[in-house]
Amino acid sequence: MNIKTNSNEKCNYALQDLYHVDDPEIGLNIVDLGLLYEMYFDEVDNKLMCIMTLTTQFCPMGDAITTDTRASLAKSFPDWEVTVNLTFDPAWNFSMISPEGRTFLGR
Amino acid sequence: MMSPLIGGLQKTTNYKVVLPFYIYASLGFLLGTILLLCHTEVVGVHYFNPQTLAITHTMALAWGTMIIFGASHQLLPVLVEGKLDSDRLAYLTFWLTAIGIPLLIYGFYVFDMGLLMQIGAILINLGVICYLANVLGSSFKSNRRNVHAWYVITAALWLFATTFFGLLLVLNFRTPIFVGNSVDYLAIHAHLGIVGWFVLMVVGVGSRLIPMFLISKYTNERLLWLVFVLLNMALIGFSIAYLANFPAISFYIPIILGLLAVVLFCKYCYNAYKVRIRRSIDQQVKTSLISIVQMFLPFVALIIALTFLPQGLFPRMAIIYGFCIFFGWITAIILGMTFKTMPFIIWNKVYHNKAHKGKTPAPKEIFNDNIYKIMLYSYLGGFILFIFGIVLLHQIVLKIGALLLLITAVLYVYNVMITAGHKSRQL
Repeated sequence: MNIKTNSNEKCNYALQDLYHVDDPEIGLNIVDLGLLYEMYFDEVDNKLMCIMTLTTQFCPMGDAITTDTRASLAKSFPDWEVTVNLTFDPAWNFSMISPEGRTFLGR
Repeated sequence: MMSPLIGGLQKTTNYKVVLPFYIYASLGFLLGTILLLCHTEVVGVHYFNPQTLAITHTMALAWGTMIIFGASHQLLPVLVEGKLDSDRLAYLTFWLTAIGIPLLIYGFYVFDMGLLMQIGAILINLGVICYLANVLGSSFKSNRRNVHAWYVITAALWLFATTFFGLLLVLNFRTPIFVGNSVDYLAIHAHLGIVGWFVLMVVGVGSRLIPMFLISKYTNERLLWLVFVLLNMALIGFSIAYLANFPAISFYIPIILGLLAVVLFCKYCYNAYKVRIRRSIDQQVKTSLISIVQMFLPFVALIIALTFLPQGLFPRMAIIYGFCIFFGWITAIILGMTFKTMPFIIWNKVYHNKAHKGKTPAPKEIFNDNIYKIMLYSYLGGFILFIFGIVLLHQIVLKIGALLLLITAVLYVYNVMITAGHKSRQL
């Protein structure tokens, strides 16, 4: 897990809830899957921007996963404006999965 | 900071468009197995008889085509990297074909090629035109078309060629259109559908879905293009050889081309399997992978028929060939892929905006897994026994095989209905 952020403290706080957001098909949470790339906190305007990816651009659950991520972040930061953006550059790959995630997948 | 690619996410098709196809197809499968059980005596006679034609068209249209229509409307956004062009055209496709198919099947069953059957064939053609328009509209809206999109476009075109040719054959029974008898052209009509529609579609869709479900990063566009060219060459080569009355030996060329295409597709799936990220594979993906191996059985039947059999035994081998296709790999891949794609559709319908409220069931928990496993055993037993029944021409073995296939269909329908009727659990 290697999430770029400008606030480790807030990022860790957000992760507590994000560990409960699963990819429904795989059954593994998005943090251990390595789907989260960046998280930026604008403390002046109370804005939170999360940049994440999906295992594939054609993931049929993509909409549900991003909705879920946004809801989880809104729950952690109720007074903040939350934006979740998707990127496929770089494309997600096996090396992004955490050791716990690899154990879960039998690798 | 990386620049996010907003809008890269595929928009899913409305479940209301897709579900009717799945439900209709499940009932089509049930009807196909009932007809098979009631008419096992047709195994010993020539395939051009009312019941065999009714069973074949039930399996090809009411079962195979309707479920592919449903799945492809759902998967078109994934395959063409865009959005389904028109929900209205999809509804039209459903209603036109849903009304036309029973009329056609009834016409075959009572062997009356009159007005009712002709109306059925026309309605099916109109439905296929709507489908083709939707595929073309969806594909050509985006500037970029990948190999999967070309498979779907070509398969839809071949489907139209099949149904239009079929309509002409129906009309030819009453008003002469062709030089010969309609029966003389059946082999071309059948192979346009089998290779042009079913095989191209299964390879095009499977080559995207199988790596996705295995969570495998494998892709090989060049290999898929090669398979695409081989399959189309095989189909065109066969049609020319048949129409031009080439000697029997010339039919080996399209057979070898087709066989090579299937071998390469197997290699593609194996490569995807080898580099998969998730080690364990669920039963549905296993079934789909087994069905790919089943694609070889019709080739075996065909080569045996051409090489070793005297003309007298050819009709029975033709029955094995058709059975291995419609009750073999087409049915097996549908049995696997239905419970891989349909639970996603239902999950997105029921839990799309509820996931963050609590632990949702996984898509695979939406249907009954135990019933699914029993269905698979019943299917494999029925399929193998029926093949033995054809070889031995033994009515009891045929009846037991057909009964097991009917049980398969009942369990399949039950699971489809459970999935379709799934309600949100308390989160």
